Amino acid sequence: MNELTGARELSGRPVVTLGGDVVAQVKDTVFDGPAGQVTGFTLSGRGLLAGPLRRSLPWASVHALGRHAVMIRGAEVLAERSAVVARKEAAHGRLVGARVLTDEGTEIGVVLDVMVEAGTSGRVVGFRLDARESLVTGSRRRRRQVFVPRGETLAVSGRALVVPADAVRFVADDLAGFAARVAAFQARGKPAAGGVERGPLP
Amino acid sequence: MTTYSRVRGLPVVTLGEAQEIGTLASLTVDAAGGRITHIRVTGRRGRAQGAVGWNALHAIGTDAVLVEPDVLPQDGSPGPSHEALGVRVLSEDGDDRGTVQDIVFDASSGRIEKVVTTLGEVAGDRLLGLGDYALVVRGDLTAAPEG
Repeated sequence: MNELTGARELSGRPVVTLGGDVVAQVKDTVFDGPAGQVTGFTLSGRGLLAGPLRRSLPWASVHALGRHAVMIRGAEVLAERSAVVARKEAAHGRLVGARVLTDEGTEIGVVLDVMVEAGTSGRVVGFRLDARESLVTGSRRRRRQVFVPRGETLAVSGRALVVPADAVRFVADDLAGFAARVAAFQARGKPAAGGVERGPLP
Repeated sequence: MTTYSRVRGLPVVTLGEAQEIGTLASLTVDAAGGRITHIRVTGRRGRAQGAVGWNALHAIGTDAVLVEPDVLPQDGSPGPSHEALGVRVLSEDGDDRGTVQDIVFDASSGRIEKVVTTLGEVAGDRLLGLGDYALVVRGDLTAAPEG
């Protein structure tokens, strides 16, 4: 599993060619919610006075998403802005702030950030939530932040998104624990994936 | 093998006339080619004088750089030239790999042996590009020889 990063942290990250030139910086990350995938990035210029750019960066043109830069092959891979932001219904703003419901109908919190796998996959692996008390075990009653993995399919409708109820069992308090939980969550119930009845293990 | 830090500031002298045309200010690096293509020469009183191609160099000695007779530095640069010393190093995966401290190269061919960074050494054949922002190097996982 590659390193995980919050989409909010990506804003301002430089976009650098393999030739070593910086061509822009990330303004916003755009998601395809149902596919659980980064669609691409809107861009802004570098520097204090620089505004949004007309060009955008589709995920297919990303060489690698790293800790310190988004690498691209060359400036020519930047595309028209419409290539990334055409899918308005899947825009970043709709995911951040959305209520998160389990498929059993329990609201577990509100999305603060979208967690993305670094490297070349562009996969959305889960969310950082402002958790409801129901999700928080222990005596502390105040709200707090947790990380929750997303399901294989992610239903996004209007202002809410739905995750599998058992995702709640894989909630983590911090980013380090979250990477392990995501791996465990993805490995769970693998035998049942082929339509086999889920039952107690022998 | 010689190093960037050692040759910087050496007087640049023509072979025939023994005329000092300036001092070596910097090296122009072709990162993808893994070699040094030009030296940049600064004239007296800090006046910029331009570049001398590697082919026109006769020898890089301990005390001077000798260039072929009748060589005058061309104004401007044969292309964008970015100072390599002190520049940020990025892996092609987008991770920080320190900054460039020195470059070790072959004085006769200009081939870059390795780049010394604050976080270790990078072989010359792993360089991908040197631009206005960073020196980009091949990642560890893809360091295996190609073809």
